[in-house]
Amino acid sequence: MTRPVVPFREIVLKVHSRCDLACDHCYIYEHADQSWRTRPKAISDEAIFWTALRLAEHAKKHALPSVSVILHGGEPLLAGPARLRRVCDELTKALDGVAALDLRVHTNGLQLSPRYLELFDEFGVRVGISLDGDRTANDRHRRFADGRSSHPLVLKAVELLGTDRWRHLNLGLLCTVDVANDPVAVHDALMELDPPRVDFLLPHATWDEPPPRPDGSPTAYADWLLTVFDRWDRQGRRVPVRLFASVLSTLSGGPGLTESLGLTPTDLVVVETDGTLEQADSLKTAYDGAAATGFDVFAHTFDEVAAHPGVRARQLGLGGVARACRECPVVRSCGGGLYSHRYRSGSGFENTSVYCTDLEALVRGIEHRTAARSVPAAVADDGELRAEQHELTRLLLADLHRELDGRGGDAWAHAWELVGTVDRHPGGLDGVLTHPYTRGWLLGSLDALREGRSGAATLPAGRLAASVAAAAVRCGLDLAVPVLYEGGTLLLPTLGELRLGEAAPRGTAEVRPVEKGLLVRAAGCETRIPLPGQPGARWRPVRRLARDGAPGLAIDDLDPYRDCFDVPVTPRLGQDEAAGWASRLARAWGLLRARAPEQAAAAAASLTTLTPVAGQRPAVGRHGIGALGLPLRAGAGELAPLLLRGWRRARLRALLEVTDLYADDGRWTHPAPWRQEPVAVSELLAGAYERTGLRAFDPDGAEAALRALDTLGRAAELTVGGKALLALLWEEADRDRPGR
Amino acid sequence: MTPQTSVTFASVKRGRVPLAELDVRDAEAARKLDRVRPSGIDRPARMSTFNSAL
Repeated sequence: MTRPVVPFREIVLKVHSRCDLACDHCYIYEHADQSWRTRPKAISDEAIFWTALRLAEHAKKHALPSVSVILHGGEPLLAGPARLRRVCDELTKALDGVAALDLRVHTNGLQLSPRYLELFDEFGVRVGISLDGDRTANDRHRRFADGRSSHPLVLKAVELLGTDRWRHLNLGLLCTVDVANDPVAVHDALMELDPPRVDFLLPHATWDEPPPRPDGSPTAYADWLLTVFDRWDRQGRRVPVRLFASVLSTLSGGPGLTESLGLTPTDLVVVETDGTLEQADSLKTAYDGAAATGFDVFAHTFDEVAAHPGVRARQLGLGGVARACRECPVVRSCGGGLYSHRYRSGSGFENTSVYCTDLEALVRGIEHRTAARSVPAAVADDGELRAEQHELTRLLLADLHRELDGRGGDAWAHAWELVGTVDRHPGGLDGVLTHPYTRGWLLGSLDALREGRSGAATLPAGRLAASVAAAAVRCGLDLAVPVLYEGGTLLLPTLGELRLGEAAPRGTAEVRPVEKGLLVRAAGCETRIPLPGQPGARWRPVRRLARDGAPGLAIDDLDPYRDCFDVPVTPRLGQDEAAGWASRLARAWGLLRARAPEQAAAAAASLTTLTPVAGQRPAVGRHGIGALGLPLRAGAGELAPLLLRGWRRARLRALLEVTDLYADDGRWTHPAPWRQEPVAVSELLAGAYERTGLRAFDPDGAEAALRALDTLGRAAELTVGGKALLALLWEEADRDRPGR
Repeated sequence: MTPQTSVTFASVKRGRVPLAELDVRDAEAARKLDRVRPSGIDRPARMSTFNSAL
């Protein structure tokens, strides 16, 4: 099957093909590819026009919100202000109304002057500068052809760009590593210049032309970079470093941030000064013509070059790295290294990186140094998990308010204003927002808005007002809250439901807390509910489990948003039916306390709500940590392991909603002791998590979980958080195993 | 009235931003929301990955 092309979002535009420095490590002039010799020095008007046109049509076709164009060389400033103005002007006009244009230029800084910066300011072109560190380090390679140092002139440019007048255009400094340089001196020299960001590049090399290793160490580059990392870390990471940020991002489950690391598909293309379209610039280091595609902007679209096999090879993620890399635990972070660094005559790019040992040592070194600080507290602390979940619900409510953007009508606006009032009083709003089915309402409302469903903007107001009213009652706040109701019933989340009857199927009720209860005025009638926990003539309360030592969980068979499981929920239970289920649940809780006391305590601290469901198994939905659906028909002996199974599922799901335990789920498959077919890491972790928790009820399952934990220890997908959870699972499993 | 609830809020309340002031557009909030409501945007705008430039 043909995969769709990955659109280009980053264009490297070569505006000048020559340079005023003669750096001996430059991949353009000093490495295998010598195509620069035949290129025009400066980009032509025609190439500028067609590049802008192609880019605009590409952005339009793929509905790209933004594109980056990096003006590059050679030395791009040698193109001169007039040529650069034409480039910026054509691109800006072509992209106007199509996509946001992010213009950048990368320079050696020698020509940088206010004249250029005024031009860049006019078009919003941000400027990055190459500097290899202190003078000794910089002069090692970055010299003029006659051997003179470029360092003083580069410092002058950095200083100019750092002044108040131009600081907003400053992108930062790019430093190529040489292990002969003092890493601390290089780091300090760069940081002293107060750049907004820095990146360190490994010098281009291949298996045919390996990098110098003066002391023969296979990890010389990792050691050098880790020394820089330690210095950077100890000084408080004042300046973002792209290389380190990328490794930290992937270790925590995020994307790679540079084409040299990670498995994110490459989405950049190079336009040479003669309009030819090329692949990644760094391929020039491999062999003469390595970057060529045979396409140009005059006759070919960007889509055509996006479909080029060489371009696609760098978009395959795991499928595009060497076989040995695919099973390596650090491949998510290193991504097999920069494509050009894998080259070897004969086998082409089907190799590990010539920096493989360095990349592994670098990733593991950063992980070792930061894992303890990077693990989200919620992994090991249920209190933190509840806090994170609560904050997530608050964010979703704020997001719903933003999405409505005034479309919710007066009812929403008034209820939102009252939210601010009850939010200042302890316990009230928190008690309703942590109600699990509040989450279901918020997610359902946001989905309805995204899908443009009828009534999506006006329906949420009723539930918000009902939540505010329930919050006011919970904290005894003297506040009259108007609540829209429908279907002849007024539901107050976490409290209960008032049946207003067929005579008043819809309308607005006024809810006001009074003493220990509430007063409802609707359809010309006034109903006083003195004790909301007790049933009344028309009041159906949310019942509570509290009996025989079981925790006081709500038994919610009223809230319409409880219908969030993959099995049907039951209708409101009759009095006897509810009493019978509560009695069985209380006995089940007693069994749980006897056989798995720690887990019974953890479940009691985090669960707030149980809902009766059909079927024979526990159910967990998108409701955060607090709820479980449990079978109405199960006996106490069956309910105990079902309760535990459900709690384990709810906790893992809640954890996954607030942190990344793995990344690239499904990219690899693993053997699972309980399945014939290999499974994705998500299924393996879920199975192991559940079975480890159920060891008191299912010893065979716990044995299978041990084998799964072993497998998970070798999985590349686990983040630092996932690895911390794995360590906790081993501790939990070992607790009951004599001799371990 | 103060109905019984087994959830404790001690850790919730430290330095909490009022609801009306929560900025759901900042990068951290967007990442949190994206876990439960994926936006499909896999890469922040204006982030350059080209190795030989910033």
